[in-house]
This record gives sequence, structure tokens and C-alpha cells, in this order.
Amino acid sequence: MLKYLFAKEDDIPQGTAAIFFGVSSIAWFIIGTGLGSFNAAKLAFPDFFHGLYALQFGHMRQVHVHAVIFGWIAMAFAASMMYITPALGNTKLWSEKLGVWNCLLYNVGLCLALALLWSGVTSGREYSDHIWPIDLYIAFVMVVPWSLNVWMTILNRRTQGIYTTNWFFAACMFMTIIVFLIGNMPEWLHLTGLNEAYMTWWFAHNILGLLITPVAAAITYYIVPKVTGNPLYSHRVGHLHFWSIVVFYSTPAAHHLMSSPLPEWLKSFASVEGVLILVPAVAYVCNILLTMQGKWAMFVENIEIKFTITGVLLAIPLNMQGGFQQTRAINWYIHGTGWIVAHAHLALLGFSTFAEAAAVYYGMQVLLRRKLYSASLANFHFWMLLIGFSLYWTSMTISGLIQGAAKIYEVPYVDVVIAEHPYMIVRWLGGTMVFFGNIVWLYNMIMTARVGDIVPVGRQPAEVAYTR
Amino acid sequence: MAWTFNRPLHSLTSEDQNRAAKDIWEGESLGGIAENNNPLPRPVIGLLLLTFVTALAITAPLYGQRPTAAIYADYVALMNSTMVQEVMNDRTITHNEAKTQAMALIEDSLAHFDSPYTFQREQHPIDLDQLRVIAPQIVELQKAGVDLEEYNVIGPEVIKSNFFNIQDDGSILAKQPWWDKGYEISFWYFIGFCLAVIIAVKRLPHFSWRPDHSIAH
Repeated sequence: MLKYLFAKEDDIPQGTAAIFFGVSSIAWFIIGTGLGSFNAAKLAFPDFFHGLYALQFGHMRQVHVHAVIFGWIAMAFAASMMYITPALGNTKLWSEKLGVWNCLLYNVGLCLALALLWSGVTSGREYSDHIWPIDLYIAFVMVVPWSLNVWMTILNRRTQGIYTTNWFFAACMFMTIIVFLIGNMPEWLHLTGLNEAYMTWWFAHNILGLLITPVAAAITYYIVPKVTGNPLYSHRVGHLHFWSIVVFYSTPAAHHLMSSPLPEWLKSFASVEGVLILVPAVAYVCNILLTMQGKWAMFVENIEIKFTITGVLLAIPLNMQGGFQQTRAINWYIHGTGWIVAHAHLALLGFSTFAEAAAVYYGMQVLLRRKLYSASLANFHFWMLLIGFSLYWTSMTISGLIQGAAKIYEVPYVDVVIAEHPYMIVRWLGGTMVFFGNIVWLYNMIMTARVGDIVPVGRQPAEVAYTR
Repeated sequence: MAWTFNRPLHSLTSEDQNRAAKDIWEGESLGGIAENNNPLPRPVIGLLLLTFVTALAITAPLYGQRPTAAIYADYVALMNSTMVQEVMNDRTITHNEAKTQAMALIEDSLAHFDSPYTFQREQHPIDLDQLRVIAPQIVELQKAGVDLEEYNVIGPEVIKSNFFNIQDDGSILAKQPWWDKGYEISFWYFIGFCLAVIIAVKRLPHFSWRPDHSIAH
């Protein structure tokens, strides 16, 4: 990386920034899931590790969350955008040099942010835990340069049309900056009480709704047609998906606070909008699955499609759960339980992660012009991720239902802890499988870069995946 | 941007502009990816309409309402009655037995009378300890002559509800309606969204046109 920081723009090979972001994202995925596994172990076996203040659950949870969101998910998004955006505009990235610097400063900033969280320096707000100097750093050093590269690449495209994926990329980066700056208002302006609570959840909801979910969807809009060779089923359904995300995903933040004294009309509005998130979900899933027509064999044979379509299929329970769990009638039962933790992991470790993993697998092969070192290891990674995630999701969902019942029937807390214990062990087991799967993935990608077979010019990695 | 309104359900764009759009659509490769022009399948349209109906049906404010102070007013009156006080102060039984018997007596008495709050009482059961905490607050509100339906019981506190139902005369009613303005906003918001998306897709060439992908790819 260092040799490119001060190189001339023309001397930096295309795809360099995307590769750095891609490798960083895998490394952060390992760190993030390793921390998650450690945290889960502490919940499953309370005597597992104690004595060091910085490694207590209260500190480690935030570090895990931010390592995964800002490290894995966001950097995988950056990697994807930095090779997909130019590819769709038949052009090159606006500035590889900016991308390389962006990647370096992103990693430095994230290390600093996590170190502060680790040492207990926090705003105390869930998901917007960082203190304001770090917020400013994230906004203006990590996100704005990344967005600038995406927007300028689209502006400098050599096509008249803009493909669906690039609508999402450009719009989501714009909306993310707005969400980040406004959502951290409690930190800038010392808002308290209900204003603080609402803004905190407006931020958390919209980071999910206007960055993580739509960008993951945008990635699949690229991977599926590109790898299968099928045209996207419908440009017009893409319109429906895009606009319904903007309209229905940006409005239901109050459904995170259904038990708060927010105005009830606002909660009613948020609750209806929350169910209407099914509109983009239905449009999106229908568009992608219909694009697969005649190519379903690739769901078994091709690693990128396997990851992508699994992610798309996970979007179905994700949105069904999300739509209904926020209604008043259901929310009073599952609010504040492990059910919500399961749902959050369905979004981030399920739908989103599978889409991003596909993009990183595909991007690294295309940019390095090398096919995967080992398809078997990639399949092993897929199954470790899927089984590990499934164990996590089902155990936490059951655990949440137990907690919900206990909350309603006022069962003593210690009895709930005992009842949940087996599920906490399964949760730890599932998370640990994901962690070990990711280590195998990193090994596979390092070996791909070092000794992977060269992909002939003009061929797709998928076309030569099974040739020697 | 030329608009045409003679066949709004077919296309809102002039033929010249449609032709230009088709030329770009077929003649341009977006990173090797092509797009079809299929409409939304009809079963999916049905599913989306069902989603909207479900969204309104399942999120009705009727479900999940907070308990109002009014539903416990009769509990408080009965708790302060001589009959129940005698049980509560009976030294021949234990404290827990007294609580259980007193609450049973209150609930038995309430069961003999029709009440508009029966459904809400079943949704929000209460025990004698909680009743003791909120009873003085409810009595104070009754003395002040306020409408108890405008007050919510949240944990140990009885506080003014956070509703803003502005009446025709400008006064604000702090009661939760089964249909509130958030609902109304949602309804019109959805209609507005549908109109905007229909206009957006009707600006595209009609869905009966199938692009030829062999031109650019």
C-alpha cells in the first residue's frame, strides 16, 4: 500500500483501492466475529474470562458491533463500490490514489475509534457510540472521500444510462452522510430525553435502512446478472425498489421506541411504514429471483451466486420479521429480548454479509485476474457461515421468545438466565463457526493472490472455476 | 422532456423520446450487464396490495394501547371500600393472603358490572401492590375533576397521555383514538408514493417492448 500513497495517479493499477478495501474488510470480519465469539463465550460461560476491565462485556459489545459494521460491512461496501461503479460506467475509478489514502485513513480511524470504545470513551448511545471528534473523523475522513470517488466516477462515466446498482450506490452514500450528521445531533448539541432517544434510533434505523440493506441489494443487482449472464429481469421493478426504499425505509424510526412516550400518531405512522418495508423487499426479491431464470444450477455450482442468492433468500424472513415485530401487538412481547439480537444478525450476518462476501469473492478474482485458490475452501467457508449463522439466529430467536414470555409473566430473572443457558451455548457455537470460517476465507484469498491460476483475458472467473 | 397524456396508462412519454430511450437501452452495455423491461408480475402486484391492507390492519392503534387511569378507577374505589379494607386489615391471616383475598374480592365485584373497560382490564391486569401505588394519584385526579381517560399508567406513575388529537374547536384531546392522524398520513403517503412511481415507470417505453440485447452485447 505504501508505495501507492505517493505514486502518480496513472502509475496506480486500476482496482488497487478496491483490493485494499477488500482485504481490509476480510481482516476486520475476522476481528469482528472473533470479538463476537469472545462476547458470546462470556454470556454462555460467565466465568470464562474476567479481571480485565477493558475486556468486560459492556466494553466489548460496542467494539464488536463497530468492528463488524464499520470494519467488515462498510469496507466490503467500499471495496464493491470501487470496482463495480467504474465497471458499470465503462470507465475507471475517479481517483485510485484517493481510494488508497481513503483505505489507509479508514483503517487508522477505525483502530482509533475502537481503541477509545475499548477504553470506555463513548457517547453512551447504542450504534452511535463514538464521541464527536471520532464522528467528525468518520464523516469527513472516512465517508466523504469514499462518496466523492463514487459520485465523481458516476459523473465521469462513459455511458448515458446509469445502471440500478449505481443509483443505489450514489444515493445511499448521500443519504448516509445526511443520516450520520443529523443522527449524531445528540452528540453535537447535547440533546437529552426523548429528543436524544428519537435521534439515536433515527440514526440506527437509517444506517440499516439507507446504507446497509440497500447497498447489499445493489451489490446483488450487479453480481447476479454479471455472473449468470442473464439480463436483469426488470428495470422498472428496480425503480419500484429504489423509490420504495427511499420512501418507506427512511420513515419508521419511531418503531424502535414503541414503548416510549413519543406521540402515538408518530408511532402509528412509523408502524404502518414499518410493514410497508415489505414493498421494496417484495420488489427486490422478485426482481433478483426472476433474473435467475434458467440459471438455477449456478446456485449449486457457483460460489458467488451461492452466496448472493442465499443472501437474497434470507431477505425474505428478514423483512417479514422486521415488518411484523415492530407492530404494537408483537413489539410489547419481544422488545428488549434476544429476538431483536437475532433479527439484527439476520440483517447484518445473514442478508447483508452473504451479499458482501459474494462481492468480495468476485471482485478479488476479477481484479487480481486469478481464479480462486480453492473452491472447496470457499464452499467450506459458505457452509460454516450458513450453519453458524443459522445456529445463532434460531437459538437467539428461541431465547428471545423465552425472555418475552418471562417478561410478561414476571418470571424471576435468575430463572430466565437458567432457561436461556443452552441457547447461549448454541449462540457461542454458531458465532465461533462463523469466525473460523472467516479465517479459512482469508487463507483462501491470500493463496488466491499468491498462487491462484491466471484467468485468461476476456473470461469470467465463473467460466473457468472448474477448469485446471 | 416531452410529456404526452393521451394514453396515460400506456406511456407518458412522446414516441420520439421513447425511441431515443430504446436506442440507448439496446445500444449501450453497462459493464456487460443488460436489463429487461418486464412489468411487475400480477401476483406480485396482488401481494403488494395485500401488504398495504395488512400494514393498516395489523398496526391499528387499537392494539397495544397503554392502560389509561380510567380502567383502574373502579379498582381504586373498591379498594377503598369498607368491605375490602376489612380484608386488607384482617390480622388473622397473613399479609399475602390478605392481598390475594382483597384482589379476588375486587375482581369478583367488578365482574358483576358491565364496563367499557373490560377488554383493556384483561389486557392490563394489576395486583394490589401496584394498585396501592397508583390509587392516591387517581384519587387526586378525581378530586381535580379531570378526565381519567386522558391519563396513562406507566409503571408506578399516572401521567398525562402524550396524544395530540386537535379538535374542531382547537382544543387538544389527550386520548388515543383507534384511528389517528399517523394513520391518515400513512394512507395518503402511500397513495402519493404509488402515483410517483407510476409516473416514473410510465415515462419508460411501454413494457410490451422487449429490448434486443444482441445489439450491444
